[in-house]
Amino acid sequence: MFKKLLVATVAVGCLGVAGFGTLAWQPAMAPIAPPATASFAPELVAKGEALAGGGYCAACHTRKGGERFAGGYAMETPFGAIFSTNITPDPETGIGNWSEAAFARAMQKGVSRDGSHLLPVFSYDHFTKLSDDDVRALYAYFMTRTPVHATRRPNGIPFPFNIRYLQAGWKLLFFRPGRFEPDVTRSAEWNRGAYLAQGLSHCGACHTPRNLLGAEKFGNAYGGAVIDNWVAPPLTAGNAAPTPWTHDELYDYLRTGASKLHGTAAGPMFPVVQGLRALPDSDIRALATYFAELDKAAERLPYVSGAVSLAMSSTLAKEGAPIDPDARLYITACASCHYNATNAPLATRPDLSLNSAVHLADPSNLIQVILRGIGTEEGMPGVVMPAFGDALSDSDVARIAAYLRRTRTDLPPWPDLAVKIAAIRRQYEAAK
Amino acid sequence: MTSFHINGRLVIVDAEDDAPLLWVIRDAIGLTGTKFGCGIGMCGACTVHVGGRPTRSCVTPLVSVAGAEITTIEGLEGKHPLQTAWADHQVPQCGYCQSGQIMQAASLIRDFPAPTDEDIDAVMAGNLCRCMAYVRIRNAIKQAAAQARKVAADE
Amino acid sequence: MSKLKGQPTLSRRAFLIGSAGTAIAFGFAGTEATADESSPFEPTIWYSIDRSGIVTINITRAEMGQHVGTALARILADELEVDWSNVRILAVDTDPKWGVMITGGSRSVSDGFPLYSRVGAAGRIALIEAGAKLLGASPSNCLARQGAVFAANQSISYGEIIRRGGPARKFTPDELAELPIKEASERRLVGKKADALDIPAKINGTARYGIDASAPDMVYARPKIPPTRNDSVVRSVDDSAAKRIKGYLTSLVLEDPSNTVPGWVVVCATSYPAAIRAADLVKVDWTTGSATEVSEQDILDYGAKQIAASSGGALVVDDPGVDSAFQAARSVLERTYTTGSVLHAQLEPVNALAFEKDGRFEIHTGSQWQSLILPVLAKALQLPQERIIMRTYPMGGGFGRRLDSDYAVPAALAAKAIGKPVKLVLTRPDDMRFDTFRSPSIQTLRLAFDARGKVTAMEHHASAGWPSAIVAPAIMHKTRDGTPYDQDAIDGADHWYSVGAQRVRALSNTLANTSFRPGYLRSVGPGWTNWAVETFMDEAARMAQVDPVIFRVGLLDGAGRNAGGAPNAIGGAKRQAAVLKRAAEKAGWGAVMPKDTGLGVATTFGQDRAMPTWVACVARVHVDRPTGAVTVEKLTIVVDAGTIVHPDGALAQVEGGALWGLSIALHEGTEFVKGQVKDTNFDSYTPLRIGDVPAIDIEIIDSTEAPVGLGEPGTTVVAPAIGNAVFAATGIRLRRLPIRPADVLAALRAR
Repeated sequence: MFKKLLVATVAVGCLGVAGFGTLAWQPAMAPIAPPATASFAPELVAKGEALAGGGYCAACHTRKGGERFAGGYAMETPFGAIFSTNITPDPETGIGNWSEAAFARAMQKGVSRDGSHLLPVFSYDHFTKLSDDDVRALYAYFMTRTPVHATRRPNGIPFPFNIRYLQAGWKLLFFRPGRFEPDVTRSAEWNRGAYLAQGLSHCGACHTPRNLLGAEKFGNAYGGAVIDNWVAPPLTAGNAAPTPWTHDELYDYLRTGASKLHGTAAGPMFPVVQGLRALPDSDIRALATYFAELDKAAERLPYVSGAVSLAMSSTLAKEGAPIDPDARLYITACASCHYNATNAPLATRPDLSLNSAVHLADPSNLIQVILRGIGTEEGMPGVVMPAFGDALSDSDVARIAAYLRRTRTDLPPWPDLAVKIAAIRRQYEAAK
Repeated sequence: MTSFHINGRLVIVDAEDDAPLLWVIRDAIGLTGTKFGCGIGMCGACTVHVGGRPTRSCVTPLVSVAGAEITTIEGLEGKHPLQTAWADHQVPQCGYCQSGQIMQAASLIRDFPAPTDEDIDAVMAGNLCRCMAYVRIRNAIKQAAAQARKVAADE
Repeated sequence: MSKLKGQPTLSRRAFLIGSAGTAIAFGFAGTEATADESSPFEPTIWYSIDRSGIVTINITRAEMGQHVGTALARILADELEVDWSNVRILAVDTDPKWGVMITGGSRSVSDGFPLYSRVGAAGRIALIEAGAKLLGASPSNCLARQGAVFAANQSISYGEIIRRGGPARKFTPDELAELPIKEASERRLVGKKADALDIPAKINGTARYGIDASAPDMVYARPKIPPTRNDSVVRSVDDSAAKRIKGYLTSLVLEDPSNTVPGWVVVCATSYPAAIRAADLVKVDWTTGSATEVSEQDILDYGAKQIAASSGGALVVDDPGVDSAFQAARSVLERTYTTGSVLHAQLEPVNALAFEKDGRFEIHTGSQWQSLILPVLAKALQLPQERIIMRTYPMGGGFGRRLDSDYAVPAALAAKAIGKPVKLVLTRPDDMRFDTFRSPSIQTLRLAFDARGKVTAMEHHASAGWPSAIVAPAIMHKTRDGTPYDQDAIDGADHWYSVGAQRVRALSNTLANTSFRPGYLRSVGPGWTNWAVETFMDEAARMAQVDPVIFRVGLLDGAGRNAGGAPNAIGGAKRQAAVLKRAAEKAGWGAVMPKDTGLGVATTFGQDRAMPTWVACVARVHVDRPTGAVTVEKLTIVVDAGTIVHPDGALAQVEGGALWGLSIALHEGTEFVKGQVKDTNFDSYTPLRIGDVPAIDIEIIDSTEAPVGLGEPGTTVVAPAIGNAVFAATGIRLRRLPIRPADVLAALRAR
């Protein structure tokens, strides 16, 4: 899911600034004997477990069908595959012989125990904001997992991009180490949300666009980005959904995986929501408060009901003659679930006149979900959307997408539908 | 191996992850009331409930229903108000689409307790009845919805 | 659909066939006293009564939604005077004793009525006699009701009569044929409301269709459909890619002595999803038939040439004086009409399970015409027909597709080849590509008016693929000069209008017949002949400046051969005029319509002159000028089908049939393109959905005339009524079916 990030990251190797030598050098930290589980307080481990969920560490550190946290999750890039690391306390292949200091250095400075620089695909630029206490709790949690012996698969990145040493240059340019500093003018809840969003949950890793060298653009935080044929939409007022992401909508979405007026957490957003389940309601509310302020939802709140009725009534007006073959295709394939009576959208019937995917400038998310569907675990628990990838031809998918864009939004047609569908189809077929 | 509950019974199925749920239900589990019509989610004959929501099982990969609660026409045990209404209105002709029609209609009247004709048109449009028993399907839905409202009001 | 003329249409003949020519004995001659006490009473092959009085009625007609078992059983049970709750129906497997097994042509009730009535009546007479004896009463003082015989103040149930030895009465076939059946006023079940017996299982998911059949150790199979229906030959098969599919077994190249499925490869696997995927990966190289060079327009062009040639074809009606009437005519109207290919798209894709067991081949599948496919199966399997049995299943839609049970052949061949039970299921695209779809048609009609505006002659030339010419040439009718023709493909052209000298010429479209396998599709010929006749009548009325209803009624005068007669057509054209007038009255014919809205009328006689079902339809239509979209707002339909056996079932057939007609008019239709149909699934083939259903008002005339069919007639009137309503709304005349918005737009622009 981090393909583009990786491309840019390895590209930074081209900088090849030899003068970083001294800066770049980091000492190895001495290996330790794996600490006994009993040496960690149970409440600390429990806290760490919640934090590991909030950081959805398992999403990247577990391969499909593999042991949890044992790594091996493949991230394909044009430069070759990168495999995530084993963070179970196995002394040989995991972090069993890492001291707490080594763990903290990795989290807060992006340096491995052996002194090598970690690729910023590991979001240490966010984790640096974590408090020492939280890092300690995470350490306690990981060191008390069952060790899994899983030899790390070497990355397929060729020379010179594989020189870790050169990552130091990137850090010099873009990395701002340091713990989170609360904004005293804001509420405690907002500050908690900011801490989670900027640090632990590293939302900007996907939602903030990156510069050519793969670093997040500081001036455009949460401005939205496209990663691996998925759109991480803007979390600012620039979000294209017809209704604002209010506190309640954000809460529902992050807590349950689905919101009535925006849609369902699918694709790479699903593991995030899955991980966030470990956090208490208060943390989810804090995140909602933080992002609701960011997208100025309060200012637009009075218009929500108007926007809903406008979106839904204009849908009816634009539905088209029943003889319209595109309308028939949509009604036949989709409307049995995605239909609502005017002004009363149900959460269980995601309304596409309100749905974010239909309003984004890039159709990728809509195409992804049509092809892959949504499993029971994703989005609303226990409910699925079938996968139309094997059912609908590319031209049928294009007809449905274009029809939705035409009838559900006032936005211009997507110019590159066929190309996007073909690309996502390739990705879909390759994943089989 | 994928496990889920079907009509309240736990089943563990050894089939390919991407095997369509429909064939697992029909051939592996042996519940043949759910029908195959088009294989692309456009006729509705294969409709079952997953987590209480109507789902076209012919395009639902097995792996995506891991842990789910699935209900098929057999799971309604002939007791659903829609089934009574279907009999009262003598809806089925060949009957092949009717399991799917009933499963779809069950969610319709739950989501729209007093369905308008427009609601019925939209929600039931994905269920093809080749015998074209549509007039009766509509009337039976309205009767069942009214019955359900009456029961709800009495409770 | 096809009606087999050899099929019993009268009770005597039916009875002889059905009982293999033996006399029908009620009771068992010489064994009354010693009859096995546990045996049920089986007075005839058609039903039995057990010792508790339960009546089980054997149904040889296939169930595909018409509730045929319910209708036939009620005919019998009415005469037998049994309690309906004690009646069961049994859909029987094939056996020579049943005679011809076919379900088509809307004939089941019409043909079955005399037979089932008389065997029921015979049973009642026998039971009354036996009951009277046991009660010590005279049979003439007894009557039967509700499964019991009553005499004065005592009674005995049928069950008890049977427990005490049963009736001994015998009837010869001649006696049976002479048995009077009830007066209509005496009927207690026929014509009364009843729930269909097949419905409960279709509501709770327990109904088992062919696709639900299974056998131990069966293998699942899916075919590779060859590029052309005819003359495809497999050159090579490459299944190397399929081998990576878990469960893939083998790909069989079928050797088919019956030549039903030339060029078929059947892909076998341990599960159906594996068979689907493996078949996608199996590569077959074929030598194809010539149809790869043939498309829809070629077939229509071929037909146009046939029509233009003055010779050829079968003169189904050939009155003297046609040519002279046209020569003398003051004015002549000539128009050409076309219809496109239509798919059955029955919801249950065709399938069959086949296996050998105890020296017999069993074929488990839904079939509308077992008697047609059994000899074909025998030839394919190289077995005597007696060693093949077809197990009967309800069908997830027939509509004529399953009259041609060609799909049973590859299942049987695959089972024979692999030595295991084979369950062959076609996917939707396989099914549509293998469909015996409705042929495109082209027809030219001419009408001569004399100086006073009177119609003096009519010609009708029709070219289309002939289903019977392909699968059942033996049932084809012959003209007076001995030329065979497929009556199913021309019925309807020989209408009941008095038009003076009439000529109907049926042309077998050879290019259609060789390029694909034309099939029987609900109403067959009347589906296209009436599009032409009834649009043409409208055009003629406009030309004559007479109201279209008045014009038609004027021609439906019941004169000459249109007077009608027994058994099925008593009243003739007058009854057609009556339904037409009634429909017009109900629909508010003549009222001023809103802008771009119009009423159109059409009337037909259903399937064929020997069994006319009188139908009339008024369609109210709105035309959206910017898009060309035609919306049917209301259909008003009046039907006279004689005696109605199962009123709710009858109504359902008319509802469904009428909506089929609407669907074919506006929503369906595919195109034959280089050997294949263009549409292969419901993303592009778009039958009517629930939201497309207009208001619909159906009246079935109360009648005691002979019952006639209802499965198809409703489909025949709707398309021309819609076309005529479009004319009334906009002044544009559509002569091609289906009606497409683009055609409407083009016609609007041309004006």
